Amino acid sequence: MIGIVSYGVYIPKYRIRVADIARAQKKDPVEITAGLRVEEKAVACPDEDAATLSCEAGLQALIDGKVNPLGIGAITVGSESHPYAVKPTATIVGEILGVSNNYFVADLQFACKAGSAGMQFVWGLLAGGKIDYGLAIGSDVAQAKPGDVLEYTAASVAAAYILGRKKVIADIVDFVSFTSNTPDFWRRDGQMFPSHAGRFTGEPAYFHHVMSASKLLFTKIKKTPASFTHAVFHMPNGKFPTTVAKRLGFTKEQIAKGFVVDKIGNPYCASSLTGLAAVLDIAKPNDTIFFCSYGSGSGADAFVFKVTKEITAYQKHIEKSVQSQIDKKTYVDYSFLTKCAMNKQCL
Amino acid sequence: MSSPVQNWRQTKNIASLIGKIGTILSWTKVFVAPAGFENDVPYFAGIVQFTKNTRTTMQFVDFEKEPVVGQKVITVVRRIGRPKPQEVIQYGIKVKPV
Amino acid sequence: MNIHVAGVGITKFGELWEKSVFDLALEASKKAIEDSNIDAKKIDAVFVANMLSSKLDGQDQLGSVVATLLGLTVPSVRIEGACASGGLAIHQGVQAILSGLYETVLVVGAEKMTDASLCEITTALMGAGSQEERMAGLTFPALYALMARSHMEQFGTTREQMAQVAVKNHFHASLNDNAHFPFAVSLEKVLGSPDVCYPFTLFDASPISDGAAAVILTKKSIKKGILITGSAVATDTIGLAQRASLTGLSATKIASQKALQQSGVSLSDIDVLEVHDCFTIAEIMAMEDLGFCAKGEGGQFVASGQTKLGNSMPVNTSGGLKACGHPVAATGVKQIVEIVHQLRGDMGARQVKGAKVGLTHNVGGTGATVVVHILER
Repeated sequence: MIGIVSYGVYIPKYRIRVADIARAQKKDPVEITAGLRVEEKAVACPDEDAATLSCEAGLQALIDGKVNPLGIGAITVGSESHPYAVKPTATIVGEILGVSNNYFVADLQFACKAGSAGMQFVWGLLAGGKIDYGLAIGSDVAQAKPGDVLEYTAASVAAAYILGRKKVIADIVDFVSFTSNTPDFWRRDGQMFPSHAGRFTGEPAYFHHVMSASKLLFTKIKKTPASFTHAVFHMPNGKFPTTVAKRLGFTKEQIAKGFVVDKIGNPYCASSLTGLAAVLDIAKPNDTIFFCSYGSGSGADAFVFKVTKEITAYQKHIEKSVQSQIDKKTYVDYSFLTKCAMNKQCL
Repeated sequence: MSSPVQNWRQTKNIASLIGKIGTILSWTKVFVAPAGFENDVPYFAGIVQFTKNTRTTMQFVDFEKEPVVGQKVITVVRRIGRPKPQEVIQYGIKVKPV
Repeated sequence: MNIHVAGVGITKFGELWEKSVFDLALEASKKAIEDSNIDAKKIDAVFVANMLSSKLDGQDQLGSVVATLLGLTVPSVRIEGACASGGLAIHQGVQAILSGLYETVLVVGAEKMTDASLCEITTALMGAGSQEERMAGLTFPALYALMARSHMEQFGTTREQMAQVAVKNHFHASLNDNAHFPFAVSLEKVLGSPDVCYPFTLFDASPISDGAAAVILTKKSIKKGILITGSAVATDTIGLAQRASLTGLSATKIASQKALQQSGVSLSDIDVLEVHDCFTIAEIMAMEDLGFCAKGEGGQFVASGQTKLGNSMPVNTSGGLKACGHPVAATGVKQIVEIVHQLRGDMGARQVKGAKVGLTHNVGGTGATVVVHILER
C-alpha cells in the first residue's frame, strides 16, 4: 500500500475581504462577492514566500506524522511563485527541514496542479522502491495584477503531504491525468503577473479537463460518484467546483467538507490539496475521497483515496487543523496588498 | 547578507531552530530601519529565551498588539531583509505569538 | 602608572560639511601639539581611533594617512573598538609609553559621519553588534531600548528620569562652544520629540556628528601636565542576548575596579566624570555600574540633580554624547580632553571647582568593550 502518511497545511493568518478589494477597485462589492462566491482570501506577509510557506507546512507534516526528516527520500515543490527562476525551492525547504543529502528533488510548475503532479511523481519513486518517504508540496504566494479579476481570489497557502508505505492514513487507490496544450492562463518568463483568456478559462479549460480526468478514473476503477464519501476539486472560485461536482453527479454534501475557497481564496497549487487536508482532518476509516485538481496549460490530476483505520489515532494529535487555521484570522486592508505588491516589484 | 557564501553558511543553522517555543525577555518597536529592512518598518524585535542557556535576538512578526515581556512565542521561517534583484535570498528565523 | 597628558586639542563637533575625516584628524592633532609645546618631530608613535572610515569612505591604513598629514614617518596605526575606539586608542598610547619603546605619543580620535545617508549610517553602526542582531534588524537605538525596557520593568525607572539625563547634558552643552547642540532643552521637549523606538524619543539618542579630539601623552614630567593614573579595559559578549544581564554592563564594573586599583583612588575621590551616554539609559546604568549608586537606583540618582554642574557629582560637563555630539571614535579622546581641562582649571563657566580627580568611561557597542581612565592633577 502506498499512500498518505501525514500532511500539513499552513494558512497565513491575514485575510482581506473580497468586498474591500472591490471597493478599492471602485467596483460593486456585493456583486463581486456573489459572482465569485468567495468572501475573503488569505494573504501572506511581505517576508513570506512559497519557500517559507512550504517549510511551515512541511514541518507540520513531519511533526503530525512523527516522521524523521532524515528518512525523506524525495521532495517536490509545485508552485507558480517559486522564489527563483533558477535554483530549486525544494532544496531550500529540504535544508531547513533537516533532511539528509540523499534525496531526489524536482521543482514543478503546471499552474495550479503542480502540487498534485508532485504527488504522482513521489508515488512513482515509492512504487519503484527507490524511497521510503517522499514529501510533495503545493505552495503559492499567488500574485495577481492590481485591478485584474484574479486579484479577488489569488491567495497564499501551502499544503504538504508525506507519502510512504508504513502507517498510511489514506491509501492512494489509483490516479490518472488528462492533459492537453491549452493556453487559458499563463505567465511569460520575466513577467510579474499572470495573464488569462477570460471566459475561455471555463468550459474548454477547467471543465473539459476536470470532467475528462474524472470520467477516465471512474471508468478505470469502475466506480460511480455516488460511491464516494467525499469529493474535492480545484477551487479557483466558488462557482467552478460546485458546478463541475454537480455535472459529474456529486452532491452538495459530498463536496462540503473539502470546500474551502470561500474563506481562503485560491492559493493556486495549494487549493485542492488544502481541500483534501480539510477532509482528512474529519474523515473516518474506510471513507473514500475523490480528488481532482486542475492546472491551466492544461491538465487535471484525478486521484481516489481510501482512508484507513490509522486515521483515528492520527487525528487525535493533529496540531493545526485546516478549520482552526481558517478561523484564526486578522483582517487587513487594501494598503497591505499594495505593500506586498510593491515588495515583489522591487525584487 | 549579500554574499552567497555567507548565506550558505548561515542557512545551515536554521533546521535546529524551527518550531521552537520561547519567552520574550525584552522587545522594542523599530521606526528607523537599516538597509534591507525599510519595507518592514515599523517592526518589533527583541530578545527571546529558549532554554535556560539559550537566548537569541530576532525580529518579531504577526503581532497585532504590542508584545509583552514573558509572552510565549514560536519560531517561524521567513525572509530576512530585502535582497536586491540579483542577490541570493536570505532565509532565517523570526518569532510570532503562540 | 603616571602618564602625562602634555597637550589636548579638539575640533567643533557637528555637521561639518566642508571637513573630511583627514581635515578633522589634522586639526585636532595640530591643536594638541600646539597645546603641548612639544615639537611634532618628538612624537614617537601615533594612534588613530576611527570606526567608520573604512566602510563609509573606503579608506584603510588611516595610521599612515594621519602620520603623513603631520609630516611624520613614525609608527602609526588605526585602533577600532566601535564607540570605544577613542578610549582604546588612549589605552594603547598608555601601553606604548609604559613599554618603554616610546616616550611621546599622539592619540587622535576622528570620525566623519554626515557624508552618508541615515540608512547607511544606521546600517554601518550595526557593525558594533552581533551578526544575529543585524539579521534581526536591531539597530543601536533598538538594542539600548531593549535594555531600557528591562531596566524600567525591573526597577521602575521612568521615561522622565531618562529624559532628565538629556536635559542636564544639554544644559552643560549650552556652556560649550564646541558642542554639536550648544543649547538647553526642556523636559517637555525631550518627552515630546518623535519616537525612535520605545522608550526612546529623538532626544534620548546621541546624534550623528563629525569631529575629532587629540592628546599628546608623554613619559616626561611637565609643569602643567595632568596624569593618567589608571587605564583599564574589559570586554563582554558582542551580542546583548548572550550577556548575563540586560540592565547593566559587567565590563564597566570590571574596567572601573581595575582602573581604581591601578590609580589607588577610591570612588569618593572622584570630582568629575565623563560617562558614555550614547542613549539616556546608558548614563543611568553607568552610574550604577561604576558604583556611584546601587543597581536600579540610577534613575532616581540622576533625577535628584546630583550629577548636574554645581552639585555633588558633576557628570558629562562637556554635554556628554547626547549634546556635545558623538563622532564615534572621537568620543573616548574627547572625554580625556574634557577632564584634562577640568583638572587644569581653565573651563570657565563649565568649571567644576577644585577638581583634582576625574574619571572617563567609554563603551563600545552595547557593552562589548568598556574603557575606564582615571586622571589626576
